[in-house]
Amino acid sequence: MLAATAPLPGLRVELVSAHASETSVVLIELGIVFIVLALLGRLANRIGIPSIPLYLLAGLVMGEGGFIPIDAGEEFLSIGAQIGVVLLLLLLGLEYSPDDLKVGMRTTWKAGILDLVLNATPGFIVAQLLGWSLQASVLLAGVTYISSSGIIARLLDDFDRLANRETPVILSLLVMEDIAMAVFLPLLAVMLVGATFVQGAIAAGIAIAIVAVAFMLAVRFSKHVSAVVHSHSRELLLLGVLGLAFLVAGLAEAVQVSAAVGAFLLGLTLSGNVADQIRGLMPPLRDVFGGIFFVFFGIGIDPRDLGPVLLPALALALVTAVTKIGTGVWAAKRAGIGPKGQWRTGLSLVPRGEFSIVIAGLGVAAGAQPLLGPLAAAYVLALAVAGSILMRFADRIPSPLKAPVRDGSARVRR
Amino acid sequence: MDIFETPLPGVGVRYEFTAEGGDHVGVVVRRDGKRDIALYDRDDPDSCRGTVELSEGDAGKMAELLGGSNIIARLEDLRHTIVGLAIEWVTMPARGGLVGRPLAEGRIRTVTSASVVAVIRGDQGIPGIEPSFIFEPGDTVLVMGSDEAVDRAAAILTG
Repeated sequence: MLAATAPLPGLRVELVSAHASETSVVLIELGIVFIVLALLGRLANRIGIPSIPLYLLAGLVMGEGGFIPIDAGEEFLSIGAQIGVVLLLLLLGLEYSPDDLKVGMRTTWKAGILDLVLNATPGFIVAQLLGWSLQASVLLAGVTYISSSGIIARLLDDFDRLANRETPVILSLLVMEDIAMAVFLPLLAVMLVGATFVQGAIAAGIAIAIVAVAFMLAVRFSKHVSAVVHSHSRELLLLGVLGLAFLVAGLAEAVQVSAAVGAFLLGLTLSGNVADQIRGLMPPLRDVFGGIFFVFFGIGIDPRDLGPVLLPALALALVTAVTKIGTGVWAAKRAGIGPKGQWRTGLSLVPRGEFSIVIAGLGVAAGAQPLLGPLAAAYVLALAVAGSILMRFADRIPSPLKAPVRDGSARVRR
Repeated sequence: MDIFETPLPGVGVRYEFTAEGGDHVGVVVRRDGKRDIALYDRDDPDSCRGTVELSEGDAGKMAELLGGSNIIARLEDLRHTIVGLAIEWVTMPARGGLVGRPLAEGRIRTVTSASVVAVIRGDQGIPGIEPSFIFEPGDTVLVMGSDEAVDRAAAILTG
């Protein structure tokens, strides 16, 4: 897939040497980045894998230490990446109504806790083994914990599994993870500031209180906020929603709740007609800026740093693929799903993607641990691709679950 | 027939039922209006043997094909209650009640306080019913009023 990008460095050198002005360099670099993304997106479509890992790879081969040095356009990419995070989380919030969250919490909280314990622990332990700080370890725990609702929801649709009996179990677990993330991100933001324990505890308490209050306000004033941004003109609607999203995200960041959570809560708040319209309008915008976010994350990583983290990343990928499968099987079994459906549930939860990168990106921006970026990139690359393949062939991969299974713990260990 | 409803967070709602022939059928109604019809596998009841994706328009057409003749029958049972206001469609019997007699003779408004709003005869809707209006067998009469008033009016109409 890199064949397409190989001739480009030479091209760029020629263009830049022709005394190009600053603006033209920026535009040319961005042009190259976008065209590479477009080509990779097509390729991903063609071979049936998500585009996220390819975008990450594209970022890796660009920038510092890569084949295509990008520097002039980096400022735009950096801001574009932040916008990408805001839009990713805004649309995630829009996917769910507050009712979805309430129902999800009520029905799947046990599976949600198992999910958290089984999948965050390996990340934390590996980080500790590597001698990382507490902050960096918590970050890596978040990276390994959260499945990619973007990839999974898309593939469930692509593979015609939306009507399957196990699908509500998968979706509810994803909802639980997203709720956990809304609590986790503000905590993380506080930890990363490097406060003392007491200061940190107070700040974390405040941050969580703000999220809780914001959530209640979101439920209460949903209609009002939606009415304010509503417009029949798509342009005005888009401007209104984007303006509100950036404002809320910025304010949230200012009080250390993290911009991502602000955007997520705003997404939850918008409902009804407005939400329907935005769901039709925003995804292309999100995908463009989301793509920039993944590329920018990759650009920030020197490919030479991948070598030393490759082994831990792959080991972690293997272990957390198994723990995710265990989580899914357990949750599906509790919901009364048959052995084949349990197996599909487990395999469907394996893909990691955008939110692992969002969490790692926070750590990278705060300078928590230099190897966190490369490790997270290698980990997501592995599990985004492997997870999609596992999902696709779920019914053909021989399941170790034979009906009826007697011992629950044995299954989890498989 | 029991229809089970399951919310699909972020997608929509899934309905499923077992057809009389034993096939297990699911319908996913997505938030954007698209519908998926799924036929569950008999060996692995959690998965689908196949799905059909329908747009909102397709789904409407398909509903017409599948159940058009039922709609009139359903109308007879249809009853909306809007806080204290009941609306009922009363079908006139072959004989008895007010069949063949004018509206005024039933003294419906005086006795029950319910109003006869309109009559549907064949394909035609007749609004603004005069006291001299004569009912025919098979007329569908739209009655409005309180719950109780509507019930009593229906009793007078059908005898």
